[in-house]
Amino acid sequence: MTNAILTTDIRTSGIKKKEKVYITTLKRLLKNKLAIAGIIIILVQITMAIFAPIIATHDPVKQNLIASELPVFSEGHWLGTDNYGRDVWSRIVYGARISLLVGVTAVSLGLIGGITLGLLGGYYKKLDGIIMRVVDLLFSFPGILLAMLIIAVLGTNLVNVAIAISIWSIPTCARIVRGSVLSIKEKEYIMAIKSLGASDFRIMMRHILPNAFAPIIVFGTMRMATAILSTASLSFLGLGAQPPTPEWGAMIAQGQAYMWTSPHLTIVPGIAIMLIVFAFNVVGDGLRDALDPNMDIQ
Amino acid sequence: MIALIVRRGIQLVFLLLGISFLVFSSMYIAPGDPATMVGGPTATESDLEAISENLGLNDPFIVQYGRYVKNAAQGDFGYSYQTRQAVSEAIVVRFPNTLKLAIASMIVAVVIGIIAGLISALRHNSWLDVSTTTFALAGISIPNFWLGALLILVFAVNLQWLPVGGLSEPFYTVEGIKQLILPAITLGTGSAAMIARMARSSMLEVIKADYVRTARAKGVKERNVIWVHTLKNAMIPVITVIGLNFGFLLGGTIITEKVFAINGVGRLMIDSIAMRDFPMVQGSVLLVATLFVVVNLIVDIVYTYIDPRISYD
Amino acid sequence: MKKNVWLTLLLLVLLFLTACSSGESASAPPKENSKEDTKEPEKAESTSNETFTYASTSDVVGMSPILTNDSVSANITEHVFEKLFERNDDTKEIEPRLAESFENTDENTWVIKLKEGIKFHDGTPFNAEAVKYTFDKLRDPATAAPRASLLEPVDTITVIDENTVEIKTKYPYGAFLAALSHSNAAIVSPTADKELDLMSNPVGTGPFKFVSWTPGDRVELEANEEYWDGAPALKKVILKVVPEISTAISMLQTGEVQFIDNLPTEQIERLEAMDNINIEKKEGTPVYYLTFNHSKEMNQDPEFREAVAAAIDRDAFVSKLNGLGVRSDSVIGPEVFGYDASADNAGTPYDLEAAKALVQKNGYADKPIKLLTANRANFVLMAEIVQAQLTEAGFKVDIESMEWATFLDTARAGDYDITFLSWSNVTGDGSELLYPNFHSDNIGSSNRGQYNNPEFDELVVQSRTTIDQEERKVILNQANQMMIKDNAAVVMYHGIVTAAMDKAYSGLILAPNGKWSLKDVTGE
Repeated sequence: MTNAILTTDIRTSGIKKKEKVYITTLKRLLKNKLAIAGIIIILVQITMAIFAPIIATHDPVKQNLIASELPVFSEGHWLGTDNYGRDVWSRIVYGARISLLVGVTAVSLGLIGGITLGLLGGYYKKLDGIIMRVVDLLFSFPGILLAMLIIAVLGTNLVNVAIAISIWSIPTCARIVRGSVLSIKEKEYIMAIKSLGASDFRIMMRHILPNAFAPIIVFGTMRMATAILSTASLSFLGLGAQPPTPEWGAMIAQGQAYMWTSPHLTIVPGIAIMLIVFAFNVVGDGLRDALDPNMDIQ
Repeated sequence: MIALIVRRGIQLVFLLLGISFLVFSSMYIAPGDPATMVGGPTATESDLEAISENLGLNDPFIVQYGRYVKNAAQGDFGYSYQTRQAVSEAIVVRFPNTLKLAIASMIVAVVIGIIAGLISALRHNSWLDVSTTTFALAGISIPNFWLGALLILVFAVNLQWLPVGGLSEPFYTVEGIKQLILPAITLGTGSAAMIARMARSSMLEVIKADYVRTARAKGVKERNVIWVHTLKNAMIPVITVIGLNFGFLLGGTIITEKVFAINGVGRLMIDSIAMRDFPMVQGSVLLVATLFVVVNLIVDIVYTYIDPRISYD
Repeated sequence: MKKNVWLTLLLLVLLFLTACSSGESASAPPKENSKEDTKEPEKAESTSNETFTYASTSDVVGMSPILTNDSVSANITEHVFEKLFERNDDTKEIEPRLAESFENTDENTWVIKLKEGIKFHDGTPFNAEAVKYTFDKLRDPATAAPRASLLEPVDTITVIDENTVEIKTKYPYGAFLAALSHSNAAIVSPTADKELDLMSNPVGTGPFKFVSWTPGDRVELEANEEYWDGAPALKKVILKVVPEISTAISMLQTGEVQFIDNLPTEQIERLEAMDNINIEKKEGTPVYYLTFNHSKEMNQDPEFREAVAAAIDRDAFVSKLNGLGVRSDSVIGPEVFGYDASADNAGTPYDLEAAKALVQKNGYADKPIKLLTANRANFVLMAEIVQAQLTEAGFKVDIESMEWATFLDTARAGDYDITFLSWSNVTGDGSELLYPNFHSDNIGSSNRGQYNNPEFDELVVQSRTTIDQEERKVILNQANQMMIKDNAAVVMYHGIVTAAMDKAYSGLILAPNGKWSLKDVTGE
């Protein structure tokens, strides 16, 4: 309902109204205290990622075998050092870069794939059958298994991890987009534009896609959370970042052997992952409430 | 209903064919030679050649895949390269453990999820709502391998209340339930949080709906409003989430089974991928996919009962 | 509809109650609990000889000594089966086990006398026929045995009488007795092999009899009361599969298992702090080394190899192993036949300045080096530390870590510059180390470094075809020193084999090859 009104607004009254919609959404979002907390956490992480060389106190891959496994609040290493004597704080800071980068890449790839399939399936009846079967096929695969197969074929590195994770957001995204397309395709104004000779591509890009914009944004935000978590899980299984890359999941996996003697090696990166995943989840929730509480996204 | 089941059955056959092809070809392309994994790093070239021939690995891809499909259609899912044991036998041994774990986690998830969702919906915007929501979101955000290790550390090693791992005792005994508690919490937490969110938002939505307001205005008791009118209608989207989460749980068993030393299908899958034991990978993936489709079918059937407006025919 | 709601509620209450009640009984102290609860055999009898459980991070592949070649399976086969010969851990000499004695009538003929009156678990007699059957099966190409190569030099096997067998080799085979002491050369019951599948129903002469196998979960053995060398004290032995080593250690701590082997260096501190266990350590035969891919042009430059060797601080590395490694330059380790102490310091010593100078002189800094590693804990440890040390010296090194299967394939294909390998020497014989790993015959399979040195090859072949053991020792030392001087490989450390056992038990025999025997283990 709200969706349709929103789109009609966009269609009829141009840029000013569009801006207004964004501003009201933002206002609503900022009333949500949890979402504000989430936004702050995300901003902190982005800052850490961009200014990593300035914020980090040490070279994140520089070893010091004599000063290894120092506890937190040690002199010169406020978050301690790992089993190779590398500064944990600096690794967390550089790790922020990696998890953001992998998350953004995986989600964008997934969205591109999902949007393309969803648009084609919803718009062209002939393609719909095949595309939805492919989507079903991807759906009935446990995500982590699919990722393991892809990594087994492509090899272990972060780019392939991003690809593997992106594939597993395609089916849900495709369904969301397809649903939007189907609901709007038969609308009179689309027919009218079509009869005026607009190309299919133009109709899809200018008139149909913006209609699905809200659910895609919400979905994308929540997927960031899933993507970061999945990268960590794959690293735990030894299928993620190449050493000595300071990836948070890999840090937990490596630190786990020292859990009883140096618990900070798992707890610190564990909290880092939890915070950022939490942040993307609450912002996604908040966005959904602000845009349209009835939106159907799991 | 029967038409629905028949239609899904036919779809399932094609789906399985698609999946088996996908798995077979990706295992075929993937680097790593099954013969080396059988022979071990110390095997010589002639040892390896004999093993390859013996396993039929020297045939072209199409021949190997065709042979697999033909045998599978007759109910023969092949033999493990590693243990030379029948795949179906190996899966039959492990499947009950995975099912136990998945169902126990589902119970944990549904109970915690719905209770938390109800509380926060009924006390909308109270501190109870905010803290429940925060906990729910934190639940989704915890990496489950991390949670599992922490639970073992606290409840099995330090407090010694529960066993560290294994799932060997029957589930109806006290020992069996004790073995299930930690893994079920580890695996169920994420789903509990997802269900709680969904239960909260759909309850809120239903509470605001006209018929609930009418019922209230008519003087129906508050308790009846919640249990009879609201809950039932709010359940429909929650059941969708439960169905979807079953797939998520099956994926999650891979890590949980590893951490808690549970002999299940999830662990069989990763171990077989690692050992390039193709028939075993195929068999376990096909089973999980079938399960997923069947659960979704059940979810669809449950819909028609809860909400007679929905029909699939 | 109302009914359903109540039913759901009832279910919830029930669940809550069961959760509470199980919580209550569980909160009692574990010791009392185990006395009261007779349903809990693993805990209740942990201090007796009834049941002894050990945790293993992977399952057996199978239990036929002929068809398996991995250490987990060997742990079971070594208890169910026996070999003709066995290396004495103290003297390092090979001694008869199922054999009584042997003699060489000429350098290609081995006449082996067998012990009399021994029976397989199925009641059939152990005799010369069984030996011939086992060895013929092992070397038959149709069997596709992973270690058929052990008997590759064997020409004919003849039964002389009930307890004598004569084996002729195609050429003099110096490591023959060592080969016969390999786990894969254990003697199986011919009757059982013909009727059953030994992979799932092993039948041998050993101290324990097979009971059952639940794949992925456990293997159960029971004492062989008629064992010819005295029945073992433990009545039942269970292998329990626990894939996460941390979980296995927790189980050892809580008494759910009584024994684990292969303790990881990272968790040694934790294990040492546990007061209910004893840790066994012994210098072992495994060797861990960095190898060059000798087919790459860059690696054929001796100065490059020298620079790499000089840049690696092996002492600093070994200090990271928490006492689980022995530092030596020698490829043939102290516990392996053919070792000579003079090889300990024969390699290029650590000298960062010298390495830096060589890197500068030859411009190695511009060439990226691909460091391949398997993603197993001890390999990653070597890779991370060595990468940091090589970077310090000015090299540009990228780590590529991959899962085991892909690693073996990639290493065999030679798609790397340097990598880490290890070799756990089951027979403890130097020829069994140098021939598969460094002889040019095995390029394309087990010689993953593709080392090709004709002079060295010559010596290795000599060590294999000489019968006189003293002479063999000298030849092996020569070959060893030659490849160390050549920097063909840089030895990182020699493994210390480890195991941890519940304090309530004693009598574990831990061999330098990492194998162990529960035959003499007994509870208090």
